[in-house]
Amino acid sequence: MQKFQTFYEETHRLIYRYAYSQVGNQQEAEDLTSQIFIKAVRSIDHQRDPQSIQKWIFKIAQTTIADYWRAYYRASVSSLEELLDAGWEGPAAEEPVVADATPAERVQRILALLPEHYREVLTCRFLLNLSIKETASRMGLTEANVKVLQFRALKRAADLDTTVSGKV
Amino acid sequence: MPDGDQERFEDYLDLERYIEELQAGHVAHPPKGLTPEQARIYRMAALFRSAAPEAATPRPEFVESLRARLLAMDQEHVEDDTEEDTLKIPIANKSAERTPAPTPPEPQEVPRQEAPRAQPQPPEAPPRAAKPERVRFVSRRSLLTGGAVAAASLAAGVGIGSVIEQSQGSKSGTAATTQYTGTPDATVPLVPNNIATAWNYVGTLAQLGDGVLRFATDTVAGFVVHIPKGGAWEEEEEEDQVIALSAACTHMGCLVQWQKNRQFLCPCHGGLFDQYGKPVNAAGHLKYMTPLPRMETKIVNGEIYVKVPKSNA
Repeated sequence: MQKFQTFYEETHRLIYRYAYSQVGNQQEAEDLTSQIFIKAVRSIDHQRDPQSIQKWIFKIAQTTIADYWRAYYRASVSSLEELLDAGWEGPAAEEPVVADATPAERVQRILALLPEHYREVLTCRFLLNLSIKETASRMGLTEANVKVLQFRALKRAADLDTTVSGKV
Repeated sequence: MPDGDQERFEDYLDLERYIEELQAGHVAHPPKGLTPEQARIYRMAALFRSAAPEAATPRPEFVESLRARLLAMDQEHVEDDTEEDTLKIPIANKSAERTPAPTPPEPQEVPRQEAPRAQPQPPEAPPRAAKPERVRFVSRRSLLTGGAVAAASLAAGVGIGSVIEQSQGSKSGTAATTQYTGTPDATVPLVPNNIATAWNYVGTLAQLGDGVLRFATDTVAGFVVHIPKGGAWEEEEEEDQVIALSAACTHMGCLVQWQKNRQFLCPCHGGLFDQYGKPVNAAGHLKYMTPLPRMETKIVNGEIYVKVPKSNA
């Protein structure tokens, strides 16, 4: 019982943040976190040491979230097939190794590598939670410019993320 | 910065819409039909959203309620195992108790009884089996009474008796507040409103598939059934349903068996019920069977729960 308490204390925040960084919203992050922990508690092997339990629950988290993405993509079957034809290996293949970098660390690394105007627009929109209007005003751009800029910034960020986490 | 990928005006708008939804705290999904490169852009947006100061901190109420739920589940495991130990089943009786059971042999039950505290998921568990420790209901009762037949009557005796009285008398108006799927008039509620109940986890929607999941507790044995839409009850149903019904044949109490033709067959006297638990025998002493009584179900995050009477054990 005590073991469980400790385990939950230490892991729930990590798992929640990981789920949130995948889905971007609180409701689904909560749903996924619940699913992950329930699966874990059902099949937990108390013989394991705490380290390997944590690794193992992250594995559960990865597969649960991969299932989530798969279910979402499957909703439009033709697009899934197109994606696969285009050489995409499926959502699971894109998962970074979770143990290596927390979502926060990934974001910091990416920001550091971005060109200045990309970094600034993403900081405004996401870290500071500014609206399009506020961001445009702050950066001296039109709202339309900001929309284009954030799109390209995220695209560049996606490319950098590949580099940062060492995936090919 | 020409990229070779053509950017369309809609791309910027779609992305902006997504970001605004996330900022507003709503559930949001990328548009369908994205290329892999485009999908990655949306994943980045979700990642960056989580870097916002308040974003990735879980709500305390959520943390607490999940903790409580997990603790309850953990407790269940503890109780099950304790009960098993105190029965002190002698080895000889153990083998005897399994043979007369009319239910199909479920090999994963054997290791369950011998297993120590650890609760591994049996990897080859057939899709119909619910949580293995719950199916122990059959074997434990069998030990006491010599067969699953009596087990069903013992467990469901009171329920069925009173239910038969109800259904012969009036419509099932008593439990009208339950969340039945399927036509209310012809369904019979098994569990009365005035007793202590508990939600019993049976399995996931994925495990259920388009068939059934069997479950058994100390107090009831039953099936969760997936009824595909248009399942031809009184009228065409517009969407898939998940219902739970008692496995105890309303003729005398043997546990019915799910057939490939989507009927339940009673091994004792041949009673037949359709996938809704409605009797289909046209002739003989089975002509006047009542439908298999229903239990209330709920689905949470794809997990199926059935409301069962609390055990006194």
